[in-house]
Amino acid sequence: MSKTLLATIKTPGFHFPTISLPGKSLLNINKKMRIALLILVPILLLTAFSSWLPLPGPLQTNLRAIMQWPSLAHPFGTDRMGRDVLSRTLSGVQVSLLVGFSVALISTCFGIVLGTVAGFFGKFIDRAIMSVVDIFLAFPSLLLAIGLVSVVGTGLWPVIVAITLADVPRFIRLQRSLVLSLRSRAYIDAARTVKASQWWIMRRHIVPNTIAPLLVTASIAAAHAILVEASLSFLGLGIMPPAPSLGNIIRDGQTYLEQAWWISTMPGLVILLIALSLHFLSDGIREALDPRARK
Amino acid sequence: MTFMPVDTETVLRVQDLHTHFFTDTGIVKAVNGVSFDLLRGERVAIVGESGSGKSAMAMSLIRLLAFPGKIVSGRIDVAGNEVASLPESELNKIRGSLVGTVFQDPMSSLDPVMRVSDQMIPPVMRHLEVSHKEGEAIAERWLGRVGIPDAKLTIRAYPFEMSGGMRQRVMIAMALSCNPRLIIADEPTTALDVTIQAQIVELLKDLTAETGASMLFVTHDLGLVARFAHKVGVMYAGKLVELGPAADVFAQPRHPYTQGLLRSIPDAADGTRKRLFQIPGFPPDMRLPIVGCAFADRCAAVRDICRTEAPESTYRGVNHFASCWAPTGLDQSVVERQVKMPERIVEAELSPDPVRADALRSDVLEMNNIHKHFVRRSILPWTEAKTVHAVNGVSLRVKRGETLGIVGESGCGKSTVARLLLGLEEPTAGEIFINGSAQMVFQDPYSSFNPKMKIFDIIEEPLVVNGQSSRTERADKVCSLVSQVGLDQSFLGRYPNQLSGGQRQRVAIARALALDPSVVVADEPTSALDVSVRAQIVNLLCDLKDELGISFVFISHDLLTVRYISDRIAVMYLGEVVEYGPAAQIFDDPLHPYTRALLLAIPTPDPVREAARKIELVTGELPSPFVLQKGCAFASRCPKVADRCRTEKPVLRNFSRQRETACHYAA
Repeated sequence: MSKTLLATIKTPGFHFPTISLPGKSLLNINKKMRIALLILVPILLLTAFSSWLPLPGPLQTNLRAIMQWPSLAHPFGTDRMGRDVLSRTLSGVQVSLLVGFSVALISTCFGIVLGTVAGFFGKFIDRAIMSVVDIFLAFPSLLLAIGLVSVVGTGLWPVIVAITLADVPRFIRLQRSLVLSLRSRAYIDAARTVKASQWWIMRRHIVPNTIAPLLVTASIAAAHAILVEASLSFLGLGIMPPAPSLGNIIRDGQTYLEQAWWISTMPGLVILLIALSLHFLSDGIREALDPRARK
Repeated sequence: MTFMPVDTETVLRVQDLHTHFFTDTGIVKAVNGVSFDLLRGERVAIVGESGSGKSAMAMSLIRLLAFPGKIVSGRIDVAGNEVASLPESELNKIRGSLVGTVFQDPMSSLDPVMRVSDQMIPPVMRHLEVSHKEGEAIAERWLGRVGIPDAKLTIRAYPFEMSGGMRQRVMIAMALSCNPRLIIADEPTTALDVTIQAQIVELLKDLTAETGASMLFVTHDLGLVARFAHKVGVMYAGKLVELGPAADVFAQPRHPYTQGLLRSIPDAADGTRKRLFQIPGFPPDMRLPIVGCAFADRCAAVRDICRTEAPESTYRGVNHFASCWAPTGLDQSVVERQVKMPERIVEAELSPDPVRADALRSDVLEMNNIHKHFVRRSILPWTEAKTVHAVNGVSLRVKRGETLGIVGESGCGKSTVARLLLGLEEPTAGEIFINGSAQMVFQDPYSSFNPKMKIFDIIEEPLVVNGQSSRTERADKVCSLVSQVGLDQSFLGRYPNQLSGGQRQRVAIARALALDPSVVVADEPTSALDVSVRAQIVNLLCDLKDELGISFVFISHDLLTVRYISDRIAVMYLGEVVEYGPAAQIFDDPLHPYTRALLLAIPTPDPVREAARKIELVTGELPSPFVLQKGCAFASRCPKVADRCRTEKPVLRNFSRQRETACHYAA
C-alpha cells in the first residue's frame, strides 16, 4: 500500500524536480552541512592564520607563566612549561587536519582504483584483492595502526601511512559493492550495446556514480583518522613531543588534570568539535544525495 | 452530480472531496473536489494516468493516506458512517468489516514473516466476534472460494511460499472474509500476468455479485474497465472529468480526455491500421494553481472560456456526467483526422510482383536454435545447483524493414531473447547472425540513462565510443536525431530527471538510432508510460520504421499494441516459440491453445464485445522453470491436452505458407 501511495506523492503530474540535480546536488547546502561548515570554517581559518595571531609560538616556553588560568593573553591557559595551550592546540589542529584529509584523500583514491577493478572485473583479480582486504579487515583498525606504526616508525608521514593502510580496505570494500550494484544497471547495458570499451564504461558510467557515496564515507574516515592520530600520539606512538599534536597535548596535561584542567580539556573539546562537524558533514552529504533518507 | 437511488441502497457517497499532500516542495492538490455515489452491488472503475489522484482518492475513502497526505474537506459516507470526521478507533472498526481493501502488490501488503493464518484469522475474530476455531473455519472457507487448492495447508504457509497470483487471491480472501459492504481495489491486477489477471478479475466479479458487495476499482487499463465495471469515472488532475455507465462512456464519451484515451488504444476489431490518436503534452503540475479547465492545454477542442473558467460537471445522458464546456467534447473532424498506414510487409510478400517479393527476402536477423540456461547456485554448498532453461531452442528470422512482435507472459524468456540479440548475454548453444548492428530501447527509459549525464552526452555516447567523426559532426548528428524523434533542441542541456516519461523514451529511441542500426530491439517500450503518452511513442516507432526502413523486434505483453505495430508475431511460452506467423492471422485465428488462451485473457476496451465474449480461462499457473518438461510445455494448463502431449514434445512446424505452430493437434 505504502508503495502505491508513495508513487502518488512522487508523481503528481509531471514537474521539474526540485531536489538533487545530478552534479549539482552537493551545491544545495542543507542544515546539517551548514552546521558542519559553521564549526569547521572558523577552525580552519584560525589554524591557517595562527602565525598572525598575537600568540607566542607553540614551542616557546615561559617558565615565569606556568600553568596559568585561561586569560586574554592565553585564552586556553598555559602548560607546565609555560607554553601557550591555544597556540599549541592550533598547530596540533594543523597536524590533525593534515592527517585527516590526507588519509581520506589517499584512501579514497586507492579505494576507487582497487575497488573498481575488483568489482568490475571480478573472478581471479577480485578474489586476490578481496582476500587481502579481508585479512586487513579482520583486525581492529586502531590495533592495526599501532602495529603498523611500530613497523614504519613515528612522525607525521609514518602516522598518515599507517592510518591509511588501516583505512583503505574499508574503502575498497565499499567501492566494490557500489560497482557491483551499478554494474547491473540498464545504462551499463545500454553502453555495452553500443560496444563501449570497459575503460569507457568504468570512467563514464561507474566511477562518477560512486563518487557521492564515497564522499560520505570519506568525511567519516577523516574524522576517524583524526581520532586515531590523537590516540596514537596520546599513547606516545604518533607525533613525538615537543612537536604539538592534539593527542600529545592531552597526554602532557593529564598528569596535571587536578591543578590545570585546561591543558587537556581544551584540545579535547577541539577534537570533539572537529569530529562532530565531520559527522554532520557526512550526514549532510548523504541527505543531499538521498532526500528520502531525511524522514 | 449525485443522483438519488430509487429503491437501491447507497453504500458509498462522496461529496466534494479534497485531498492534499503537504510536501516539502509545496502542496500537491491530489484530489480536487470529487463527488460520486456507489450503490449496493455496483462496480465502479476509476481510471486515470499516474498523478491523476485516483489512488489518493481511493485511499482517502478509508483514510489510509501516507504521511504528508490529508483530507482537507469533503464528506465521505460509507453505509451511514462519516469517515472523514471519525476518530481513529471508530475507523478501525470500519476498515476490514465494512470496507475491504485489495492492494496492487500482494508481496508488500502481506507480512512476509507471518503465516497466512496469523494474518487472516484475528481480523475475522474481531470483526465477526467469533472464536479462533470458527475464525479459522471461515478463513479456510474463503481461501477455498477464491480458488486456492488445499486451503487447510495453504493457511499455514508464508506469503513467500506462494506465487504472485496466489498471494493476490489471499489478499482478496482477506478483504472479503468479514463480509464488507464495499471493496476498494487499487490496481489489483497490475503486478500480475495477463492470464492470471483474467482469472483474478473473473473471481472479483463473481464474488462481488455473489455477496452483493460494491466495489471501487482503480486502474489505468481501459480494457479491464470494459470487462468489469458497471460505472466508470475518469480522473484527470484530481477531478472526475467524466462519470457514467460503462457502456455509455465507451460508446459515447463526452469529455475530450476520455475520447482521446479511448482512441489512443489500437482497435482490436479493425483490421485496417489507422494512425493512433495522440493526446499532446503532459498533465499539469498539481502543486500550481489551475486556472480554468486543467485539460485545456492538451485539448483539441479548447475554447476561450476553458482557459478562464473551470467547467462544472453537467448531465450528458442517463447517469452520465462530464465536465466540459463543449457539449460533445472533441469535434468528430478532429478525431477522424487520421492517416492510413502503409501496407504490411506480410501482404507485400504475397504480392504477385516478383521484384518486390524478392527485395523482401533478405534477412537482417537470424537466430538458429538458441538455448540459454542460467545456473543458479545455492549459498549452501551441499545443495545441487539448479538450471533455469530461460530460452530453449528458439529460431527466428527478421527481414529488412519488418517488425517482429514477441509476446508471452513474464518468465517466458522474451527479455532473454532480447539480451541475446544485443550480445548482452552469450547463448549457451546456437547461433545469431545480424546483418548490420542491433540497438536497444529499454523498458524503463529513466534507468537506462546515466543520471549524471546530460541528454546531449547520452545521445552522443554511441558516436563517441565508436570513434565516429569530429566533434562538430557529432553535434550535428545529435541535433538531427533529436528532431527526428520529435524533441526540441533545448532538451539537450537537461538531465534525464528533468524530462517526462514520454520525452525520456524519445531520447532512448534517438540514442538507439545514433549508429544507424539495422535492427532496433524494443523491450516493453511503452509499458512504463502513461496511457496518453503510449500512442505518441507507438506512432513515432511506426513513422521511423517507414522512414528509415529499420527492422524492429517489439517485445511486449500488451497484445493490442503488438498487433498494431508488428508484421509478424512470435508467441513464446516457457522459453519456446509456440506459434509464429503474420500478426493479423494469429489474432484472427490462433492455432496454438496457448495463443488462444492469451488472446482470450486480454480485455478489449469495448464493453459490448466484452459482454458478448465467452471467456474460457486457462487454469493453473506457469510450471516451474527449473524442471524441463518432457512433453509439451503447455500440457499442464492446456484445455485440449491428450496423452501424446505429455510424452512427446511438439516441434515448431509449418502449418501454412506463412504460419508455424508447435502443437500436435493444431487444426
